[in-house]
Amino acid sequence: MKAVEVKNLIKTYGDIRAVDGIDFDVNENEIFALIGPNGAGKSTTLRILATILTPSSGEAFVYGNNVRKDPDSVRKLISYLPEEAGAYKALSGMAYLKFMADLYTDDSKKKTEAVEVALRIANLGNRIKDKIKNYSKGMTRKLLLARAVMMKPKLAILDEPTSGLDVINAMEIRKIIRDLSRQGMSVLLSSHNMLEIEFLSDRVGLIHRGKMYEIGTAEELKKEHNAKNLEEVFMATAAINRISL
Amino acid sequence: MKKFFILVKKEIRELLTPQMLIPLLVVVLIFNFVGKIIGKEVKKSQVPQPIEIIDLDRSAVSQSVIEIIKKSNFAPNVTIENKKEEILAQARQKKEKAMLVIPAGFEKGIKNFEPQKIEVYNIMRNFSVTGSRDAAILNAAIAAINEVLSNQLISQAILGKDPGQLKRPVLTNEFVMVGEKTANISAAAVSGFIASQTTFIPIILFLIIVFASQMIATSIASEKENKTLETLLSTPVSRKFIVASKLFAAGFVALITAVVYLFGMRNYMTSMTGGSGTNLDGATKNAIIELGLQFSTYDYVLLGLSLFFGILAALAISFILGSFAQDTKSAQGVVAPLMILILVPYLLTMLLDFSSLSPLVRNLVYAIPFSHPFLAAPSLLLNQYQNVWLGIGYLAFFFIVAVIIASKIFSTERIFTLRLKFKKSNFKIGK
Repeated sequence: MKAVEVKNLIKTYGDIRAVDGIDFDVNENEIFALIGPNGAGKSTTLRILATILTPSSGEAFVYGNNVRKDPDSVRKLISYLPEEAGAYKALSGMAYLKFMADLYTDDSKKKTEAVEVALRIANLGNRIKDKIKNYSKGMTRKLLLARAVMMKPKLAILDEPTSGLDVINAMEIRKIIRDLSRQGMSVLLSSHNMLEIEFLSDRVGLIHRGKMYEIGTAEELKKEHNAKNLEEVFMATAAINRISL
Repeated sequence: MKKFFILVKKEIRELLTPQMLIPLLVVVLIFNFVGKIIGKEVKKSQVPQPIEIIDLDRSAVSQSVIEIIKKSNFAPNVTIENKKEEILAQARQKKEKAMLVIPAGFEKGIKNFEPQKIEVYNIMRNFSVTGSRDAAILNAAIAAINEVLSNQLISQAILGKDPGQLKRPVLTNEFVMVGEKTANISAAAVSGFIASQTTFIPIILFLIIVFASQMIATSIASEKENKTLETLLSTPVSRKFIVASKLFAAGFVALITAVVYLFGMRNYMTSMTGGSGTNLDGATKNAIIELGLQFSTYDYVLLGLSLFFGILAALAISFILGSFAQDTKSAQGVVAPLMILILVPYLLTMLLDFSSLSPLVRNLVYAIPFSHPFLAAPSLLLNQYQNVWLGIGYLAFFFIVAVIIASKIFSTERIFTLRLKFKKSNFKIGK
């Protein structure tokens, strides 16, 4: 079964077409990345799959569950990390993780395991007991990413997962995402950092102005466009399709 | 259901922050502090106040004037020398409140039925309530002097007659009718009793509704501002639980806040009045019971229901309004129309006789859901149970509709897309 299936998905805001008839799918245990510049429609697509937004037309499925018709079933399978997500500032990092685990399961054993996984990933040491309002941007992002994957969801939807992190933390997060995928988690992520995506993802989708232009592995796309990296692939695709960047 | 309580706990922790608790405690402490200061001043004014009296008549009548002044809680310092300026300066120095001068020939003039003038010097140092209170007490003492002297004169002129009867040949025996019940009591006594029983109800209601509305709107706006709402809405938790937990937590915290404020206010009021409260004499108490003007258990239940649904309706409307706010600052602005809706019935029921309003205005006020809790207490005292039940029904209906709308907003992407748009006007300066 496909982790994600998207068919002719359209999302409009008035006259603006944020997503303009895209199709793609994500296989089980695969890391699929949507890449494109700011305003390409990446986040809107992820928000539709996370059941936050409703599509204007077209269909989207998560493990066979329609996001529009059966969002409750979808929410049980996914975990979503928004790009500019925040956490409850009055809570400590530990209290936040416990609160979020409580929302996903009533099983205290599973809850404890999830919090332990998150503590390992967040790696905040004693600062985990501090109030979140005292965290740096990087610390908050690590906590949020840990929260997003601690329940080992079937599909993790991560919008710009390394946004705001320094090089060392970003590399660490990429490694964590890769390991989790190997353990059976499907990942759909977005990024405008094409070098990061090349390292991290199994397949990529090139999206711009709401349209999907290319889908394939980084190697396939580079070969097809005779490019050294994904940035060059993107520029070549833009030239072929006469897209103004 | 467990998830509901987890969400409630989180909401309460988010609402009960030091930023919210510290000002609350400070206000209560200020109430206490000011109340104690005023209480001390009131107690001080209850001690006999020193007053200077220059008795230039030195007669039996002038002596009886001094006695009446003494009985009126003053401690007169009597001088018989005519050193007005000097004694006035001394009185000012000793921070005394007043000086009286009884002129020579006072007794003779009184006995000859000639009006006499006592010079009264009020030494004013401030224009506060306690300052004017001393002057009022002195005026009451002068009125008592007039009463005693006129009684003496009438007794002398018309032997064997009671001066009281002559001065007030017509007496009243007041009855008050409430509904079909009648009792031998004055209307002023009934109004005073009702005011003492119901004054706090609209204040409590007003405070709770205002606090609750602001809290729930801030709670939603804060989730949007801190970018936590998207994460919360992507979790496998029923959105109805999320809505209900926010309503419950805001209502609970508002209730605590209102109780704390009221505790502070009660301390303040008790200090002001010296804890006298309303002590009814036996006859008045019996008359009040005869008129059925005391709340029964059933009345309290209905009053509670009306307050409860009033708060719920306010919470649900604030929830909808809060959905339009993008941040905590704008949250205060979006609930402003609701504040006006609450303020209108609050002021109308406090200041006006609601039944005397024109039908149009009365129906407009009835249309405001928050009018009904304010009107419940007087309606219950007047045994107008039907009005109270209709009000509760209207509030419940309003609450259900508002919750359905709020849930619809929260169940869709409208919670992210709703916002107030104000078009900027373009000003062009032409030649």
